[in-house]
Amino acid sequence: MAGVDIRQVRKSFGRVDVIHGIDITVKDGEFVVLVGPSGCGKSTLLRMIAGLEGVSDGEIAIGGRVVNDLPPRSRDIAMVFQDYALYPHKTVAENIAFGLRMRGASKPDIEKLVGEAADILQIRHLLERKPGQLSGGQRQRVAMGRAIVRRPLVFLFDEPLSNLDAQLRAEMRIEIKKLHQRFGTTIVYVTHDQIEAMTLADRIAILKGGHLQQFDTPDACYARPSNRFVAGFIGSPPMNFATVDIAADASSVTLGAGASAAVPQAARPRFDAAAGRRAVMGLRPEHVRPASGGEAATAHGAVELVEPLGAETLVLLRVGDAALTGRFPPEAKLRPGDRVPLSLALEHAHVFEEETGRALARAA
Amino acid sequence: MSSTTAEAGARHAATPPARKGRARLSPLERAERRLGLMMLAPAVLLLCAVVVYPIVELVTTSLRFEHLAQPWMGTPFVGLDNFARAMSDEIFWSSTLNTVIYIVVTVPGAVLVGLGLALLANQPFKIKWPVRLGLLLPWALPLVFTGLIFRWFFEFNQGIVNNALMLVGMSPRQWLSDPFLAFVATCIAIVWKSSSFVALVLLAGLQTIPRSLYEAAEIDGAGRWQQFVEITLPMLRPAIVVALIFRTITAIQTFDIPYAMTNGGPGHSTETLAMYIHKTTIDFLDLGYGSALAVLMFAVSVVATSGYLRYTKRDPRKEA
Repeated sequence: MAGVDIRQVRKSFGRVDVIHGIDITVKDGEFVVLVGPSGCGKSTLLRMIAGLEGVSDGEIAIGGRVVNDLPPRSRDIAMVFQDYALYPHKTVAENIAFGLRMRGASKPDIEKLVGEAADILQIRHLLERKPGQLSGGQRQRVAMGRAIVRRPLVFLFDEPLSNLDAQLRAEMRIEIKKLHQRFGTTIVYVTHDQIEAMTLADRIAILKGGHLQQFDTPDACYARPSNRFVAGFIGSPPMNFATVDIAADASSVTLGAGASAAVPQAARPRFDAAAGRRAVMGLRPEHVRPASGGEAATAHGAVELVEPLGAETLVLLRVGDAALTGRFPPEAKLRPGDRVPLSLALEHAHVFEEETGRALARAA
Repeated sequence: MSSTTAEAGARHAATPPARKGRARLSPLERAERRLGLMMLAPAVLLLCAVVVYPIVELVTTSLRFEHLAQPWMGTPFVGLDNFARAMSDEIFWSSTLNTVIYIVVTVPGAVLVGLGLALLANQPFKIKWPVRLGLLLPWALPLVFTGLIFRWFFEFNQGIVNNALMLVGMSPRQWLSDPFLAFVATCIAIVWKSSSFVALVLLAGLQTIPRSLYEAAEIDGAGRWQQFVEITLPMLRPAIVVALIFRTITAIQTFDIPYAMTNGGPGHSTETLAMYIHKTTIDFLDLGYGSALAVLMFAVSVVATSGYLRYTKRDPRKEA
């Protein structure tokens, strides 16, 4: 087993720079997810670790050994591709055995290892079939079998679940997590799905436009996003953003059109950094609630849309110029046009610089 | 009337479609079927005129004596006499053997050269069009021109081949008047001409192989040669078989290139069955016997084609 060090790595295709100097250190046995919107460079970065793309500048090391100039087969990695890349003319057993055979393993060894891998993934009954006869989920298991059978230093996953339907995706997510717990092998996993990132990762590297935005644990990315992009990317439904004018003493914020909210004493330090200025306030939907019982409303909102989800109801509200989504209890029977007193938990608010989107004060 | 139709419809919906040989058709279904037949009619008529009629005419002619140089003999029915004559005709057998040798040499030759060209054309060239054009040119060239060009190449006094031989200090060869060398020369011309078609078929096959397979193989530890043997060749197998069969069917009919290069000579050494049929009917005007020979060749082509049709019905990716 081994970690992966990515040091000041850059990549350009011709004159187009796609990765602008990224530093990520994946610890031995760690599960790191590279996440970001399409075109952020996450797949390119993974392919550079695999050796399928050259490194324009910087260094990639696997297990302490710089691998920039090593071909993929000498890096001791295994990769699961988005389209599975199973050899269609070979049986499942031959597919899984291929890497072992290419490395000159003996026949009895191959049989034993393929059998073990098939048992772990519960595909022993499929060994004699061809990929064309398998369902998407079964192919996914075969692709993982091909990866685990060699016991490599590092597993690389390139959006492995994006071709599966939602239910199967959830199932395979659990399967991958179990595999990681079982083998403890270092995993670098690429996805554009923030839920996969949150549920699977020990640490998440969030990329945008070839720049690393934040590299931290899922909890930290959720609770302390380093900028507005991360704040909006992680979390579902996404964080609410509103342009606010903060009073000089940080005692209140104005959400435009005369709608203002008092900032409780405890929350004031969060707004101090932008006191007397205009900034972007971020507030997660769970912090936008109806004011209950004796609680004094911090603001009032007009209901625009109601989305009942069963366990909770998402309510899109208009507060001043801002559109805020709130997570309401299912008992709240609301209709579009209703005016509701709100309790905005500003002690959980995030404040971002208006122009750069940089987090000014991070929530504790 | 309408109630019975409704009842029939209800019955039809309630019971699973029974396998009755000829179910009674409703007026609507009968009208639709009539329209369908009318729409098909032009195509069927055209097919009859250009395919069925000539074949029937060929077969009936092969069963008659019909010699345009002997019109006084009439066209009497002679049964299988023409076929019996072929069985004891030395030139029929020698031209058949020549055709078989052409098939055995030029079909695999074209597939090998074509595979090489396809692999070359599939390389990531910066500018692709010269490579593609180079592939297409021999294919686009008429067969007779190819024959004429190669006849000039292999010409004794001014041919480029003998010139090249002399440049490297070898003596010029009688390419087109030595039976063996003439065969070699025509084979080279045929391979040159037909490998571009094979290359196009195989290039199309190569481009359907996903890149990720090669990437997975690279990570799995396969080198270039192993990738070729383990992925390219097996994945290309359907395309190779298609190319082989197409080439075989056209090779059975080999005519133009030997005709233009050697006219079958020296002697009958490069004469193919198609050339012998042509000579029998057009030069000797023996339509009955020529038709019998053509029927024999047609039968062989049908066997090859049916082999092809049977193969294309299979999907090798789904075989366990």
